[in-house]
Amino acid sequence: MSFSVSNRGDVCIVEVEGQLIVGNRQELKQKILDELEKGTRKVLVDFARTGYIDSSGLGVLVSLAKKMREMGGDLRLANLNDDLQTLFELTKLDTLFQISETRERALENF
Amino acid sequence: MVSELDIALREAKLAAQQLSESWEEINLLYSIGEILGRTVNFADASRTILNEISETVEAKRAAVFVHEPSTGLLRPVAVVGADVAKMNPIAIDDESSVAARVFRTEKPLLVADGELESPLESLVRKGAMLSVPIMWTSPTGSVALGVVTLSGRRASERFTAGDQKLVAAIASQIGTAIQIDHLVKASVATERLAHEMQLAHELQMRLLPSPSVVAPDAICSARVEPALSVGGDFYHLFKLGQGRTGVLIGDVSSHGYQAALIMALTMSAMAIHAQNSDDPAQTVTALLASLADELKQTEMFLSLCYVVIDPEHGELRYANTGHPHAFVVSAEGVAERLTATDPPLGLGTGTPQLSRRAWHRGTDMLVLFTDGVSDARDDLGKVLGEARVLEVVKARRADPPQRVIDGVFALVEGHMGRVTPEDDQAVVVLRS
Repeated sequence: MSFSVSNRGDVCIVEVEGQLIVGNRQELKQKILDELEKGTRKVLVDFARTGYIDSSGLGVLVSLAKKMREMGGDLRLANLNDDLQTLFELTKLDTLFQISETRERALENF
Repeated sequence: MVSELDIALREAKLAAQQLSESWEEINLLYSIGEILGRTVNFADASRTILNEISETVEAKRAAVFVHEPSTGLLRPVAVVGADVAKMNPIAIDDESSVAARVFRTEKPLLVADGELESPLESLVRKGAMLSVPIMWTSPTGSVALGVVTLSGRRASERFTAGDQKLVAAIASQIGTAIQIDHLVKASVATERLAHEMQLAHELQMRLLPSPSVVAPDAICSARVEPALSVGGDFYHLFKLGQGRTGVLIGDVSSHGYQAALIMALTMSAMAIHAQNSDDPAQTVTALLASLADELKQTEMFLSLCYVVIDPEHGELRYANTGHPHAFVVSAEGVAERLTATDPPLGLGTGTPQLSRRAWHRGTDMLVLFTDGVSDARDDLGKVLGEARVLEVVKARRADPPQRVIDGVFALVEGHMGRVTPEDDQAVVVLRS
């Protein structure tokens, strides 16, 4: 499990490798908060290499999205696999995030 | 001839004196072993030991200081020749203190009268001072735990190398006693914590209603297994009159104490709101109003599904805020999901919506479970999956609810083997 951070223009892209669960959610939160501290206001979380997100992982995404909106920023998601897409739909969390099928599509409209 | 006799007598006298001194020292070590062996109070043992040492080496003032890692202080625990309550602790980095220096260097120090005098040690020092570190040797190395100081010997008498050796031997025994004291305290604290966690677990389990509260309108069975002693998965049941039954399943977005607090608040708020309306959306809206501040402060959210079954009118009404695993299983074995209409409480901004569908009295079965069940993992990390849980439910759809729950948990436990669950698990099955 790891997170890698890169930048494309003014968008910070965070890739989640493996899982986003109770054991590593704080690490992701801190990484994104560090980016906010540096002035970043656009964050794209890329789940292309993520197999599983638990309820704590969902919680941290929502909490970060809220915080970013309060700071005038935006947090978007991309590349959810079918299971994760279903999870977001079943929990209605898809109504709280802008979710794109690919990274490129997410960046186009950011 | 006389001279040889005198020499022999002097030697015999000297040997007797040495034997007497050694006997005193051996006796002292023996006594200290006994004191430490029978005591459970380290401070009492330290006082007794200090009295024994000071008498043996004829020191009128003495002190045992124990290092307190959290504050970096040497705290006096036993004193001879002064009131321990009047002694101040000494910082281990204090440059003027002999005890602090000995603690830092982990080496004994003999200082002469007038040498290295510190106001911090004035109550336990008069004239020369012998200070010895209390060491604890473990398989990974030795570490200083405190210091013993002795002073106030008869005028003009310095402490000897023999005194130093004796006190060092005793200090190592005190070191062992300090370690035992730490272990006993840690063990007591752990035991107390485990006991309190067990009480919290029992209290939380008592908050969950007995499935029999909805009888005879409904036959229900339920089971909750927290991942920790206390958790965030729960259910609630309400007898609403005219044959109607209210069923709630909830999953707080974490587990442990904070989740248990949200759970308890939800349980008590629902007990009030459920009786005021048979419209699940209104009930959940009222619940959200009760919990909003707490959810905001704790950054938690709550996925729940609240269902009201009205068998007389053949209707099931529900409000589902982000809870994925809610189903009605028909007599034919078709599982229909009670789809969430809103995100979990604490995340959305809207008002929970009402949904309804038909309910076939006596044959339809309501099955609610949390993600700790469907997301249970085996030792290779493979997720059990919702589909396999539903297979068991469908296969037992004609059985009593308890049999269905037993089947689900047997599946979960079989899948997990010896893996410790990472999330709480809850299942509710009801027929009406």
